[in-house]
Amino acid sequence: MTRTTGERIIFWSLPAVAVVWIAAFFLFPGFVPPMSPKASPAQVAAFYADHTSRVRYSMILLNWFCVALIPILMLIVERMRLMAHRTPILRYCVIGVAAATPIAFLTATIFWLLAAFRPYRAPELTQLYNDLAWITFTCGVPFLVALCLFLAVAIYLDQQDTPVFPRWVGHCNLLIAIALVPAGFAGLTLSGAFAWNGFLSFWVKNLAIAAWLVVMAVVLGQAYARPRSAAEVTA
Amino acid sequence: MTTTQEPLVVVREQGTRHIPGQPDMWVFVFFESLVFTAYFCVYLYSRTQHERAFLHGQSQLLAWLGVLDTVVLLTSSWTMARCVQHARAGRYAPARRDAFLTAGLGFVFLVLKIVEWVRLIHLGHTFTSSEFFQYYFFLTAIHCVHLLIGFVVLGVLVWKLSASQEIVETCATYWHTVDFFWVLIFALLYVVR
Amino acid sequence: MMRPAILDDPKRELWLAWYATVGFYSLYTVVFFIITRTQPPGKPWYDPSQVVGWFAGRHDGLLIGFALIFVLGGLSATSLALITYSIRRMSVSRAFAYSYLILYAVAAVPGFLFICTAMTVGAMRPERSPALLQWLYDLAFLSFSGTMGVFLIGSLIWMTAILLDKNHVFPKWFGYLNLCNALTEVVVAPSWIFHEGALAWNGAIAWWINVVVFALYTGAFIYLLRSMILREDFGTGPLPGLDSKVWRTIVPVEATV
Repeated sequence: MTRTTGERIIFWSLPAVAVVWIAAFFLFPGFVPPMSPKASPAQVAAFYADHTSRVRYSMILLNWFCVALIPILMLIVERMRLMAHRTPILRYCVIGVAAATPIAFLTATIFWLLAAFRPYRAPELTQLYNDLAWITFTCGVPFLVALCLFLAVAIYLDQQDTPVFPRWVGHCNLLIAIALVPAGFAGLTLSGAFAWNGFLSFWVKNLAIAAWLVVMAVVLGQAYARPRSAAEVTA
Repeated sequence: MTTTQEPLVVVREQGTRHIPGQPDMWVFVFFESLVFTAYFCVYLYSRTQHERAFLHGQSQLLAWLGVLDTVVLLTSSWTMARCVQHARAGRYAPARRDAFLTAGLGFVFLVLKIVEWVRLIHLGHTFTSSEFFQYYFFLTAIHCVHLLIGFVVLGVLVWKLSASQEIVETCATYWHTVDFFWVLIFALLYVVR
Repeated sequence: MMRPAILDDPKRELWLAWYATVGFYSLYTVVFFIITRTQPPGKPWYDPSQVVGWFAGRHDGLLIGFALIFVLGGLSATSLALITYSIRRMSVSRAFAYSYLILYAVAAVPGFLFICTAMTVGAMRPERSPALLQWLYDLAFLSFSGTMGVFLIGSLIWMTAILLDKNHVFPKWFGYLNLCNALTEVVVAPSWIFHEGALAWNGAIAWWINVVVFALYTGAFIYLLRSMILREDFGTGPLPGLDSKVWRTIVPVEATV
């Protein structure tokens, strides 16, 4: 019988961690509204000089907690054990991307923290760190896109009477994957919808990630709430 | 849960050529030989571009030390071959002795190499000091890495000595290859002037 | 309409992963060699003004090509999922499979994330100071070629698993080829030291010969994974059918009757 002891603890950590993520998101002065890629080095330097504390504390929070996503992804992997798959291949695919997914966020926080560490260094250097942070944060979507695709495929292939996740979750994951695609192109332009502060690369991407978290949390909760069938008990 | 055991056919007919050890190891030998040949070609090409500098570098090497290295490794190949012979005849104690002797000779080679490197470094010739020594240290170092792997392979040989003649021969093939590469490196770096 | 056979094929998950792997490596090759032209790599001895010229000559290619990797790079997980699965099918401990999975999952970060980020940041502001562009140029190439540990240890793990395996999942020669691949990671180490010559990051030995070995290795494992999927019987014993025409690999087993 597959052990599930402790999974609920991880599951209920998600709302707590989400609160931290949201808090960090709003605490960081450069997200609402998002900083412009067209800012000159002097403007970028001024931003870090004026908002040093808020940058530091928000990014320390995010640095601590962005990897908290991994245990939650592992909950999904454990639920995938019950899917009607012949092989563990799709679970391995999800584990494969789970390791790298938060690294993009982690690396971005490091660059933001570096920018704020010595706000009075040469403005061009601060702008470099700022660019590295923003590009990593915005364009670092490959693992999330792949994650959504793997989950969608896993759900579609889970053809049994009581699938682990309902089919609409598969559709959702596909939509979210598509929503994340424009952000990959954020490096191509410094203004407009695709720029890192633009509608597609910032708002659509981050809201899509938030939507994914909400949807997966809800269906995970439903999966846990479902009475354990005989098949699950002997899995 | 049992699976039906279908008899798997031994595809080795009478009269076919017997290759010592796993044919797979020969694939490895062939592949690594190609890679080393490529390295040697790069070295030789570079040498034609800077002949004087390379000659000067080569003159810093001690030819007798290179010869000694070669003799040591060739002897180790001989003890390796003797080990295989003993193992084939079921004489495992002498075979084990020969295996340890081979490892010992390999260790002697390693010590000689380190002595030589230290000497060269004291003379001011390092990995980064000149183009010739860049190649010298690279080729001798990558060979030494193969030698170190050879110690692991010898360990496998001793472990499987009485269990599988094929593995013994496979390991011996690897060791002979290490020796073979050294002879080529010796010829290129020490002899060809 | 007849239900296509592939939908009922128990191996369809494996085939999906395999085709995704082929797609990923094809995309990777096209992006790095053709669209961005970052392979063969730029020259390490360029001074900052030459680096500016290098970026300028590749501006659009860098941004578009790496955007494609930013979107699709995660598909690399399919190849490592298949390899993990192959190791799990072997008669060795699961520790080998899980080690490989983690090593290569992490490898994606230096494997493409850093070079994509560094090159995108470099190309997006051509007016950036040349010294900073050179900093990004170094970061991109050295993080890409020079982070050797994951591939070294990963290849050694896979090699050990194959050589110990009694289930004949892969031929032993491929185990030895893993050693060759691991050695390329040793050979590339001097690229952190030299700015020119055969051992620099674009050198005849550290790049050209290494890439040939790596390409052959990758081609070999893609082919062997396909062969494994074809032979897969979902059991736990020896995988049948590994008989190459060139050499025997089937172990004689006592006839049961």
